Amino acid sequence: MTRRSHRRRLLLGALLVMALVSVFVIRLVDIQVVRASTLNEEALDKRSISSDVVGMRGDIYAADGKVLAASVMRYDIQASPRMAVKNQSVTPQQGAEQLAPILGVPATDILASITDNADSDFLYIAKKVDVPAFEAIRALEIPWLTYKAQPSRTYPNGAVAGNLTGFVGSENEPQAGLEISQDSCLAGEDGSEVYERSEDGVRIPGSEVVTKQAKQGDDVVLTIDSDLQWYTQQTLAKYAQKYGARWGIIIVQEVKTGRLVAVADYPSVDPNNVNAMAQSADPAWGSRAFTAPFEPGSTEKTLTMASLLDAGLVSPTTQVVTPYRLQTEDGADVNDSEFHGTLDLTATGVLKESSNTGMSQLGLKMPATERYDYMTRFGLGQPTAAGFLAEDGGDLGSVTDGVPNWDAQTNLTTMFGQGMTTSAVQMASVYQTIGNGGVRMPVSLVAGCRLPDGTMTQVPSTDGTRVISEQAARTTVDMLENVATKGWLASQVEIPGYRVGIKTGTAQQPDGNGGYTKSYLVSMAGLAPADDPQYVVSVNLADPVNMNTSGATAPIFRDVMTQVLKANRVVPSGSSSPDIPTEF
Amino acid sequence: MSSALATARPSSLPGTPSPAVAPAPRIVEIAPDRAQRRARPKAAYAVVIVASLGVLMLSQLALSIALSDGAYQIDALQTTQKEQSRTVQDLSEDLGRLSSPQNLAGNAEALGMVQNSNPVWLRMSDGSVVGAPTAAAGGEGVMGAAGSQVANELLAGVPLVTQLPPDQAQAAANAAAAATAASTAAGVPAAAAPAAETSPVSGAAAGSASGAQVVSDSRIPAPTTR
Repeated sequence: MTRRSHRRRLLLGALLVMALVSVFVIRLVDIQVVRASTLNEEALDKRSISSDVVGMRGDIYAADGKVLAASVMRYDIQASPRMAVKNQSVTPQQGAEQLAPILGVPATDILASITDNADSDFLYIAKKVDVPAFEAIRALEIPWLTYKAQPSRTYPNGAVAGNLTGFVGSENEPQAGLEISQDSCLAGEDGSEVYERSEDGVRIPGSEVVTKQAKQGDDVVLTIDSDLQWYTQQTLAKYAQKYGARWGIIIVQEVKTGRLVAVADYPSVDPNNVNAMAQSADPAWGSRAFTAPFEPGSTEKTLTMASLLDAGLVSPTTQVVTPYRLQTEDGADVNDSEFHGTLDLTATGVLKESSNTGMSQLGLKMPATERYDYMTRFGLGQPTAAGFLAEDGGDLGSVTDGVPNWDAQTNLTTMFGQGMTTSAVQMASVYQTIGNGGVRMPVSLVAGCRLPDGTMTQVPSTDGTRVISEQAARTTVDMLENVATKGWLASQVEIPGYRVGIKTGTAQQPDGNGGYTKSYLVSMAGLAPADDPQYVVSVNLADPVNMNTSGATAPIFRDVMTQVLKANRVVPSGSSSPDIPTEF
Repeated sequence: MSSALATARPSSLPGTPSPAVAPAPRIVEIAPDRAQRRARPKAAYAVVIVASLGVLMLSQLALSIALSDGAYQIDALQTTQKEQSRTVQDLSEDLGRLSSPQNLAGNAEALGMVQNSNPVWLRMSDGSVVGAPTAAAGGEGVMGAAGSQVANELLAGVPLVTQLPPDQAQAAANAAAAATAASTAAGVPAAAAPAAETSPVSGAAAGSASGAQVVSDSRIPAPTTR
C-alpha cells in the first residue's frame, strides 16, 4: 500500500462524510427554518384540542328560595350511519333495538333513519335526552354513537309562575317573560380553552390555555312566594272553570313595600310544555296581569273617591240624591247597573251601592284636569316600575299634552272605570297606595340580580311617592270597610278576626267598535287587615258565563286573602270596622 | 483516562512483520514528584460528577413519571367528577319536581289531608276564640274534586302515594307486614324497618310516560305509606 492510495482513501472518506453532513444540514434547515411554522401547527393540531367551556344560564328563584327556572345539561345522541352500516360488532339493527326502549321510539324508525342516511357521517338519533337516558345509552357502548352536552332549561314547578318566568326555545334562547326581560342578568357567555393531550387522550398537565374566559350567568330573585303563587293559581283556575270564565287574574301585593307576592294568570303556561297552551281557547304565553289592560269598572271608584277626599271636596257623609239614570246638560247619560228608585245616599253609600249616578255627581265637583292628574299620580296610563316584558300602561282616553279632552260622557265614565283601561297590576297598585297611607310604592316583581358572591344588583327602588294625604287614605279605607261589612257580598267576604276593605267591579267590555258587548269583567279589589293594611288582593274574571256578577269573585277573594293572612301570620285586628252611615 | 506512566513501545508500524527476535524493551520509569501527584485530577471528582449526573437524570425520570401518573389521576378524577355532577343534577331534578307544590299538595290530599278554609284564632290576651270552628269536609282541599289545575309536565308519570301499582303496593304491604311481625317478635318498633327500600317503583310500573321520562321516573323512590 502506497502513501498515495492512503491519502486518496482519506479524501474520499472526508468527502463522503461531508456529503452526508450537508444532506443532514439541508434537511435540518428545511425542517427547522423553512417549514418550521407549518410543521409546528400540524404537530399542535395533532396534540392540542380546542374545547368550549359552557357558560350556564343563571337560575330564577322565588323569594322563598325555590327554584322556578334552572339550567341543566341535556345530551344530544348523534350517530355516524356510515360507520354504523360497516360495523360488525354492533349492527344498526342491534343498536336500534337497544336504543328503542330507552328513547321510547320504535326500533324500526331508528333503523330506517340510519339506513336512509347510510352515506352520511352525521345523524341525530335523539336531541336533549336527560341524564338517566344518557347514562343508559352510554352504557350500551355502541361504537358509532357520539354525544354532545347541551345546556337546557327546566322549570321544576311547572306552571307555578310560568306566566312570569316565561320560557326558552330549543337553542336555549329566551322567548317570553322574565327570561327575556332579565336576560342581561341571566345570560351566560361561553368561553373556550385549548389543551394538549397525549395519544391515549389524556390531558397533558399544564398545557391548558384559556383563550376566552367563560362567564356563568347570574341568578334572578323574584318577590314571588312560590307556595302562595301556586295556591292563587290553583284557586283561580278552579273557580274560573266553575264560573266558565275565559281568563282571570289574581294579584297579591304587599302594601308596605309594593312587592308582588303572587301574580296568578288563568290560563297559565307550563314552561316545560309550551305547546300545550296552543290548545287553550284563550292562549296566554305571558301574563295578562301586566300586558292586557281592560276597562276596570267600579273598582276605579275607589280612586275617584280618594281623590275627592284628598282635595277636600267630599266627606264620607256627603249627601247625594242618586237616581237610577242621570242625564247632564252637556249630553252625558249614565245609569246604574240595576234599576232602583231614587236613593238618598252618603258618599260611603255610593261606594257600597256602587252607584254610577251617585259617583258621577260627586266626581263633577272636581275639574277633569285635576282628576286626570290624580289618576296619573296613582300610576294609571303608564307601565308600572315592575317593567314586565311588553307591559301595557293602559289608556286614559283622549289626552293632549297632559290635559284630558274627554267628551261629556267619557268625563263621567272615567269616574267609574269605563272608557279607560288599566292593567290588573295598576289597579292593585291603586289599592296599595290607599292602604299605605297615600304613599305609592314602586311595583316590584324582581328583587334583584344575585351575583355568585351573594350580592344583589339591580335592586329596584323603594322610594315611595305621596299621592294623597294620610288622612284621605285612612278615610278611604274606612269607607271600603263599610262596603265589606254592609255590601251585598258582606257575608261572603267576611274573614273572622280581620277587618277587610273591598270594592267590587262589574265592567262591560268594549266590542272594539265603540260599543259594549254583553260580556263582563267582574272584579274585586280589597285589603286586609283594614286597621293596618298589609296585603292587597285583586281578583279579576273575564266573562264568567255561569255567574256574570262580582259575586263570582267573592269566594276567590276570601279564600286567597285568608290564605295570605294565614301563611304570613298576620296578627288579627283587635278592633271592629267603623260604622259610617250609608243613607240619610 | 490518561496514564501518568510513559511506556516505550517498539517503533514498529502495524503491518510490518515483527522481527523474529525482538530486543527486550528498555523500560524507563519516571517517578512523579509530589507536586505532580497533587496536580493530577482525582478519580473521586469524576465519580461525584458522574454520580450526580446520574441522580439528576434519574430524578428527572422519576419526576416525569410522577407527572404523567398525575395526569392520568387528574383525568380519572375529572371523569368521576363529571359523572358525579351528572348524578347531582339528576337527583336535584328529581327533588325539584317532587317538591313542587303540585306534587306535595296532590299527595297530601290523596292521603286525606285537607286544608280548612275556615281558620279560627285563639287570642292569647283573653283566651277568646275568633271565628266559628268548622270541621273541614273530606275532599274539600285546595285541589278538591277539580284536581291539580296548575300544570307540570315534569310530574307526568310520577304516581301519587295512593296510586302505586298493585304489585308495588302489595310488595310494600308485605314488606311492612313482615317488618311488623319481625319487629314485634324482636320487640323493636315497626317504624324502624326499612320497608321503603324493598319497594322502589320500577320503570315499567312508572306508567306510560314517553321517551327519556320513563328512565328518569324509574329513579324516583316511591314513598311507602304505613
